[in-house]
Amino acid sequence: MTGRTEQHLLRTGVRYALGVRTAVAGASSIAALFLVPAREPAVLVAVVLGLNAWNAWFAYRFPRGGRLVPADIAVMCAVCLSQPWTTPAATSAEGTVLWMLAGVAMTVMTYAWLLPPRTYVVATVLLVTAQLAGYAIAAPDRWLSGAPFQLWIVVEAGLSWMLYRMLRRGARNADSLVAQRESARRTAAIADARRSDEREYLAALHDTASATLLMVGNGAVGGRRELAAQASRDLDVISGRIGTASGEVDLVATLREAAAHTPLTVRWQLPERLSVPAVEAAALANGTREALTNVVRHAHVDEASVSLSHNGNHVTVRITDDGVGFDPASLNGDRYGVTRSLVQRMERIGGHAEVISRPGAGTTVTLTCDLTAPEPPSEDAEMIGANLMGRMRWAAVAINLVILLGLDLPKLIANWNVYPSPWTQVLFMAALIAITLVVAWRRTLGRWTWVLAGAVLAISIAAPAAMPAELWHTSAHWSFREAAWTLVVVGIEWRLAALATVLVVQHAVTLVHIGLSDLDGAALPGVVNATVMVLSYQLAVGMIAALMRPIAASAAQAAHEQERLRTADAVSEQLSQDRRDRYAELGRTAAPLLAGLASGDLDPADPAVRRSCATEAARMRRLFAEDSTAPDPLLHELRACIESVEGRGLTVAFAERGDRPAVPERDARTLAEPIVAALATAVSKARVTVVGAGGQVTVSVVADGPDGDLMHVKSSWRGES
Amino acid sequence: MITAVLVDDHPVVVAGVRAWCALADPPIEVVDAGPSVAVAWLDPGASADVVVLDLQLGASGVSWGDLKRLVDAGRQVVVYTMRDDRETALTCLDIGAFTWVTKAEGESHLVAAIRAAAHNEAYTPPALSGALGTDTNPNRPKLSDQEINVLLSWFQCESKELVAAELNIKVSTVNSYLARVRGKYASVGREAPTKAALVARAIQDGLVTVDEL
Repeated sequence: MTGRTEQHLLRTGVRYALGVRTAVAGASSIAALFLVPAREPAVLVAVVLGLNAWNAWFAYRFPRGGRLVPADIAVMCAVCLSQPWTTPAATSAEGTVLWMLAGVAMTVMTYAWLLPPRTYVVATVLLVTAQLAGYAIAAPDRWLSGAPFQLWIVVEAGLSWMLYRMLRRGARNADSLVAQRESARRTAAIADARRSDEREYLAALHDTASATLLMVGNGAVGGRRELAAQASRDLDVISGRIGTASGEVDLVATLREAAAHTPLTVRWQLPERLSVPAVEAAALANGTREALTNVVRHAHVDEASVSLSHNGNHVTVRITDDGVGFDPASLNGDRYGVTRSLVQRMERIGGHAEVISRPGAGTTVTLTCDLTAPEPPSEDAEMIGANLMGRMRWAAVAINLVILLGLDLPKLIANWNVYPSPWTQVLFMAALIAITLVVAWRRTLGRWTWVLAGAVLAISIAAPAAMPAELWHTSAHWSFREAAWTLVVVGIEWRLAALATVLVVQHAVTLVHIGLSDLDGAALPGVVNATVMVLSYQLAVGMIAALMRPIAASAAQAAHEQERLRTADAVSEQLSQDRRDRYAELGRTAAPLLAGLASGDLDPADPAVRRSCATEAARMRRLFAEDSTAPDPLLHELRACIESVEGRGLTVAFAERGDRPAVPERDARTLAEPIVAALATAVSKARVTVVGAGGQVTVSVVADGPDGDLMHVKSSWRGES
Repeated sequence: MITAVLVDDHPVVVAGVRAWCALADPPIEVVDAGPSVAVAWLDPGASADVVVLDLQLGASGVSWGDLKRLVDAGRQVVVYTMRDDRETALTCLDIGAFTWVTKAEGESHLVAAIRAAAHNEAYTPPALSGALGTDTNPNRPKLSDQEINVLLSWFQCESKELVAAELNIKVSTVNSYLARVRGKYASVGREAPTKAALVARAIQDGLVTVDEL
């Protein structure tokens, strides 16, 4: 699957490739209309207008799909083959066909982002051949002089492809790192949610069903009516009626369901419906239920009102009562039952809970949550950005080295004999190469990049200054235009405006320095066009670099939103499963008991009922001792053997104290064996304890034996340390 | 007659404790009971000998502040809780709770704890004993090996006869070991009037010497 960064890179790449190509071909071709004395001016006008119209159409249609590429290649070839009519009679190789060269070269380079590799090769070969053919027909006597330009376009195509591949690889790399981080974060989020959900559930059990069963088991027989009412409330808690579902749910229905079992008369102020993500809905509904439970317990009134409002992405639930209230400042704020758990619950989902109360003036609980996606972790955007920028820098370095060594060095060598001091030129070139390598090795140069940029500017002035003026407009002036590529390398991390300014200044200074005014009118458009063409390539690379940070930011944001959804889904799925499991465990035994106590079918004074309640309470207490998210082989083993004897009416109390080392599964079984044997002979009651002290684990059982005596069996284990 | 006030928001617990206290011999009078700590501050609860305080754990978080204020006002507080872990027990003792009884320990320990609290005598039920015996806090008082053996054995057996038989000592010796440890604990950490009273009592009974503290 293509990751978010790669997707964003490709989407942005295609958009900008189309834009740059349309702009460069448009600017250079329209300039040609005014500057090129074509053999058939009417044809030139037709070709230029036709080309631009097609480019605009292509830029519009291409992202929307369709088989446009063959037509595009055909149009470009036709433009190339129009040279016999659209060029001046006396064409010079470095002269006026440059507008066409610029357009075709940019088309070829941007194809790297638009076409699959094989088509890219075919298109490049076709366009280069067509252009050479058009030139050969237009100027049959010196057509070979055009070949180096075509060869250079092929090299540029290769460089463009390299840039594309490097960035894509950088994007993939970033995506896989993001995926790793996401996976780690999700695992942590799920574990977190499971723990807190279990804690909440167990805490609720603690305060309700477990206490009720314990009291009945301990023989508290007073207050039958309270017992029945409490048992019926406990049943609701055990079944955990508000499950978490995946995706979005209707908050209105969820809230009504949350309040369904409260004895209060609830006055509702609700919209028709409101869809919110399940995680937020569950938090708001649970919070509402807790707040209502608190009204029942503390407010001494029998009605409350619940209102739900939303303002943009802010959802607010307000639970108000006119009860006795309390003073949060003078008493302990925690006293009002749920304050802390409400605040924590809401904070977990990025929300907020507030309890406002005054003695005698009722209580208002306000729960708010924000449904907008929070900012992605900033380190993700930074990591993606660093990955893309790293590749970008290497690509720029590679491009510059290819240009310096593949284009400029041959010029220098070919003109070796005409320089007054060829080694000076070699020195200047070596300096540019050295600057490039410095940027490649030292990632963080900070302000030094400006010093390096000044050095490049100085070299591009000094290199022609060290040769006679008549060489300035020949290939002996190897640094002409191309030295600015080193500026691109140096300024790759700059803002685009800064880089563009420096590039324009560099080109302008060079042009003025070598005396633009000395040129005759015919050569002027060629020089300007060539400069604009090179500058546009350099700006294009600078622009791609400038796009990397925004791409990183938007990719990180998108990945984060996706992650949030996936995490929310995974969390709710896991929590639902946990709740089903827990209910399956308790529902079988505890629910019928509570139902019987609630309806009065079971008599709490009946010894059999008391024993069942004691057994059930003991079972719940073991559940509290065990953290299902971090399985403990020893507790698991003990629980299994305790449950196996509970079936025959034995009540087993369990307690543990101390810090103990983890006991491996095999040893846990050995450790539990004497306990199993002792429990097997127990008659009615047993107490199992686990004590950890000084790296030693002691399991002990005290049980009443058949002869009425208490027996005590212990087994200990010490970890190897 | 010993009087007690009960702070617990679970109706069945309130009903049960009232019944146990009424049936105790001699009976203990529960002068008031309610879901909020206010019952311990207002008459008739304000003058009760002993406060039985549910820490209101779970949804509400732990009401340490309530415990602190009661202790600082010189009240004898028996913490009576669903929570069954070492940290809660040790924190309650440090704040100055008189003793700590888990709801699982039931009638006999609660009644005995209330009675002991009213008479300012140490009372260490098994759940608390296990917490003291496995305490790894660096500020814990120095306990002898035998003291730790008694604490852990009492936690495991819940029967002083069994502890005495196992360690080959008398039941009264088991009691004095427990009282001694309780006295040592009262002499460390946060200062509270009830703790000072326990220490004084332990010295007076000859369980600990000033040097041992």
